[in-house]
Amino acid sequence: MKILAIMRKELESYFYSPVAYIVFSAFLLIVGYLFWFILIASKYASLEPTLYNAAFVLLLATPVLTMRLISEEKKNKTIELLLTSPISPAEIIAGKFLACLLLYIMLLALTLQYPLVIASYSPNFDWGPVISGYLGMILLGCAFISVGLFTSTLSENQIVSAITSFGILLLFWMFGFAKDVLDNAFGQILENLSLFERYADFLRGIIDTGNIIFFVVFTLIWLFMATRLLESDRWR
Amino acid sequence: MIELNNLTKYYDNFRALNNINLKVEKGEILGLLGPNGAGKTTAMRILSCFIPATSGTAKVAGFDVFEDSIEVRRRLGYLPETPPVYMDMTVESYLEFVGKIKELNKKEREKRIEIVLDRLGLVNNRDRIIGTLSKGYRQRVGLAQAMIHNPEVLILDEPTVGLDPNQIIEIRSLIKDLANDHTVILSTHILSEVSASCNRVVIINEGEIVAEDTVTNIENKALEKPSWHIILKPAEKQDWKQVITNIEGSELIAVSNQDNVYDFTLRLSNKDDFDSLFSKITSEGAIFRCIEPIKASLEDVFTKLTSTDETKEKPVSTDENKIKETSTDESKGKQTSTDEGKEEK
Repeated sequence: MKILAIMRKELESYFYSPVAYIVFSAFLLIVGYLFWFILIASKYASLEPTLYNAAFVLLLATPVLTMRLISEEKKNKTIELLLTSPISPAEIIAGKFLACLLLYIMLLALTLQYPLVIASYSPNFDWGPVISGYLGMILLGCAFISVGLFTSTLSENQIVSAITSFGILLLFWMFGFAKDVLDNAFGQILENLSLFERYADFLRGIIDTGNIIFFVVFTLIWLFMATRLLESDRWR
Repeated sequence: MIELNNLTKYYDNFRALNNINLKVEKGEILGLLGPNGAGKTTAMRILSCFIPATSGTAKVAGFDVFEDSIEVRRRLGYLPETPPVYMDMTVESYLEFVGKIKELNKKEREKRIEIVLDRLGLVNNRDRIIGTLSKGYRQRVGLAQAMIHNPEVLILDEPTVGLDPNQIIEIRSLIKDLANDHTVILSTHILSEVSASCNRVVIINEGEIVAEDTVTNIENKALEKPSWHIILKPAEKQDWKQVITNIEGSELIAVSNQDNVYDFTLRLSNKDDFDSLFSKITSEGAIFRCIEPIKASLEDVFTKLTSTDETKEKPVSTDENKIKETSTDESKGKQTSTDEGKEEK
């Protein structure tokens, strides 16, 4: 109930401000371009390369969506209202996470036109990888949002929040590079931590429980840290 | 209803509160008075569970603010220094949101929203975006937020800041009305604010309670060193300043002179010295154009409360003799009338 109240308020305020509209248009413009360009260049009825590249655009877009979540409350002192109301930090974080996830899913839903376009021209289009790809994108979004929510709790400056979030996400993206360089256990560990290696599996149509668990645990860890950080204001 | 025991708060090495002990009974309006940085906001933030105390305990309605923080927050309405409003929401949707997170169900929410909108004069502004409201109206929305769940305890950090005089009067009477079934703590650095709405005052300075009393007592204490605002047209070649400075413990403050009319603040260590002074100056042909007793300001209260006893007592004894020597009937009359004026104010 209280989580839903936070979620609704947060979702509404996304659309009161220009941020959501700007991120939506930029994302759709870039993904539209990617879709057209990749289709023309490869002449291959697959969505995999488009979705793979779209994930990088999402990496850049999500911190912009998450940066204000807690930072703005701290800056405008509305955090005093939330923290002095009978609502726990976990509920605040959960409500905000769900609001941003819902917005993110709306954004993804707007890209469903591309598989529909391909499917209408190719009668035996394989929907499997598309469905698993979108599942992967949602899980990836959970991971992005949880990191962004954590960094938003760190600072009352939205820009600082966004940049810290970019940094952390890029790092987790680049962990995947290690497998080509380090042929040992350490390289293996880094590869396992890579968000994008796991995401690529989904795009190939593989739904691996290990990958799902990884994303869920990854998200919960960051959300937990965000909650503790928000709570710590009360006992620090 | 509210109980603070040995409450101490450090921000790093800065001591914001030192061993505060305080009890507030149900239905009481307590004024926390102090200059900026005295620790008022810190104390209120601890009570409202926003920040923890370094040591000591605070209880609201029997619940510890740290141990049973959620229970305390259910019973408490808090208006911080900056009204915690979302600039992009309308007044009504904001109160709707606050009602939800304060655990009101739909029916109660609708009822309470109407009540607080009405009590705070916001009915005509219910559909306005908060960001477009003036500071005074935002303050009202902030108050509405604190009252929405009809809490037992209200903590108001400078509730009348930014309001115009009419609104201040409205809000003060609102706070007085609330006192019947609520316990209110409000902070301010304006003495008249406290005298208008509070039963009891606690004065804090540098994190310590320096006085705890009723409003009248506090004001009287401050008036031990009475002051007047005076506009004087002295007789020609009269050395009026000498007359004043001859009185022990007298002070002349902010003297300005325009066309041989002097405007200044006079401070005496003994109220009765004024009689002699008045008669002496007028007997030489000077005219008083204005004699206005200055009411105790917060600064006076502080000087009074923090000054040592030695400096207070010294001048008094010597001055009494002087009054007997020089007082005349005329000056007595004048003095009584200024006294009356003082009391009326």
